[in-house]
Amino acid sequence: MKKMCLLFIVVSCVCSSQNKQLLYGFSEVPQALLINPGAQIENDWYVGVPLLSHLHANVGLSGLSAYDVFAKDGRDFNSKLRDVVYSMDDKDVFAINQQLEILSGGFAFGSDYEKNEYLSFGLYEELDVFSYFPKDYAVLAYEGNFNNIDRTFDLSDLNVSGELISVLHVGYNKKVSNKLTIGARGKIYSSLVNVNSTKNSGTFVTKPGTENFYKHIFNLGLELRTSGLSSLTNDENSDFSNDVSTLKKRVLFGGNLGLGFDIGFTYRLKENLTIDGSIQDIGFIRHKKDIENHKLDGYYEFDGINPLFPESSQGQTAQEYWDEVAEQYENLFDVEKTNDKYTTWRPVKLNAAINYAFGKNSSKDECNCKANTERYDNAVGIQLFAVNRPKQPQLALTAFYYRRLIDQLRLKAAYTLDSYSSTNLGLGISVHLGNVNFYVMADNLLKFQNLAKAQSLSLQLGFNYIFKTNENE
Amino acid sequence: MKTLKCIFFHAVLCFVTISCVKNVDFDQAEGIVLTPTIESSLLFFDEPAPSFINENGSEVAFVTDSVVVEVFNGGFVRDNLKKSILQFEAINTIDRAYEAKVDFLNDADELQYTLLFNIPTAVNNQEILVEQEEIFEGDNLEAIKATNKLALTLTIFSSTDGSSLDEDSLGALRFRSKGTFFFNIDTSE
Repeated sequence: MKKMCLLFIVVSCVCSSQNKQLLYGFSEVPQALLINPGAQIENDWYVGVPLLSHLHANVGLSGLSAYDVFAKDGRDFNSKLRDVVYSMDDKDVFAINQQLEILSGGFAFGSDYEKNEYLSFGLYEELDVFSYFPKDYAVLAYEGNFNNIDRTFDLSDLNVSGELISVLHVGYNKKVSNKLTIGARGKIYSSLVNVNSTKNSGTFVTKPGTENFYKHIFNLGLELRTSGLSSLTNDENSDFSNDVSTLKKRVLFGGNLGLGFDIGFTYRLKENLTIDGSIQDIGFIRHKKDIENHKLDGYYEFDGINPLFPESSQGQTAQEYWDEVAEQYENLFDVEKTNDKYTTWRPVKLNAAINYAFGKNSSKDECNCKANTERYDNAVGIQLFAVNRPKQPQLALTAFYYRRLIDQLRLKAAYTLDSYSSTNLGLGISVHLGNVNFYVMADNLLKFQNLAKAQSLSLQLGFNYIFKTNENE
Repeated sequence: MKTLKCIFFHAVLCFVTISCVKNVDFDQAEGIVLTPTIESSLLFFDEPAPSFINENGSEVAFVTDSVVVEVFNGGFVRDNLKKSILQFEAINTIDRAYEAKVDFLNDADELQYTLLFNIPTAVNNQEILVEQEEIFEGDNLEAIKATNKLALTLTIFSSTDGSSLDEDSLGALRFRSKGTFFFNIDTSE
């Protein structure tokens, strides 16, 4: 557990959350279609290099950075940890999101010579871990109930989920007119492993008592649900490589299945002013196979025990009183194991942007025969990102500048404001050499001098083969 | 394909090398120390004077019972409990003196520790409040950690004037107790 914790913090230092603010709207990179199926497309067909077409890693911690806790500053580690724990609250989050595209491709088609329709498809793996900071549990671990008489510890502070899924998808994009492009993507999810404890309720409180010094009130409603996990942990072997091969078998329809879709659009308000938006992952996964749930449910008031004069006045014998006390106590902490099927919803993501382009590309000035291929070298804009989370949505606002330096090299710089940081500068580069496209994007560059000080980081990179007939005309 | 893989991993490597993690020492995590203090109600009763007579109407000499408690000698408590304070309080309005005795026994019923608490008589049923605090550290704490059974005996001392408690005797004996348990949980141990 401790090692997991450490790994978690370390991973968070090398990579930020599900926001792909640099890739969004970067229409030269085909993977931008995964964020907005209604994005404008600049190629006739493409194939992603298998396993190398899109790697995305993103970790965020609100409320602390690794440096706050692990700095070599001579201060006592435990007092630093305590300061951080007490400065955070139950809205602070830890998040990891990672994606790896296994296969992807797309091609334009259509009846007329303009080929105004586009079909894209692929398969990718996604890991998503999300947890709120369990503040009241931390306070209980640090202080106990001593000095916390009458304080109600909120057990719903424990809110954690993690899943590993594969996504098989097909998207359709259509340029309806010179002004409007729309698109949608259908997805089949296969959940390899799911662990979640997001519906906890209950309280623990110690109050001044009447019969004894204190009355302890336990009101427990805790539940952990898992799918795809018990077959890995309960099997005979403890060899990790066996688990990996079991997981691999679940990638194509082998796990718990679900369905979902993305929709998006791009609308040109003026020749150089566009708005676009998308909603991703409106979908669910039905967990039916390999389920193991643990449930702790109960209410109990404890005043202490009365062995000398058990409450026999209520017609109970002493023995009955004892049996009852013992049974109530045991039932309270008795973890019920079930195999009930359950459904999880994917975290819905929303992206929206307004984009103003300027500085016409001189080489295209003479020919203005196709308004839709009007090209500008610069663009500025604002993007909004939101992702649905159990307690409240996470939001991020990005301002960006896009620049085409030469046809082979395009850049996007972005400043992002979110719950993790207000000093997040990111840069994305897309290189086109012949038909090969390479892109790399990273944010929180100011923290690259010392990653330990970063609260969130994200990195995306990949290779594609891209073909454009228009370019060669 | 090989060249692409090469470029891909060099790009990742490049990111890792131009960035760095400075002035941090992750080994510090080895020694997370938590020091929670748990307070819990323990034994209690609140009985009127007639509770201390038997079916024949005569005064009883003592009341006793034992409780198996598997909390004290559990692994978690044995490893992490550093100190404990037990507090007792009695409010007596019965015209009798009492002695409460708590015997701490291990699983072979061997006595580990005895705790005595004297409750003076309430002359003319005038309320008497007595409090006692017992601190467990070191040897007597080890005794607690070997305990899995508490035997509680309440002795009722006969009156000096030869009178006996009956159905109409006045007053009550109220007994309350709590424990404060100081833990030190060090993950490096």
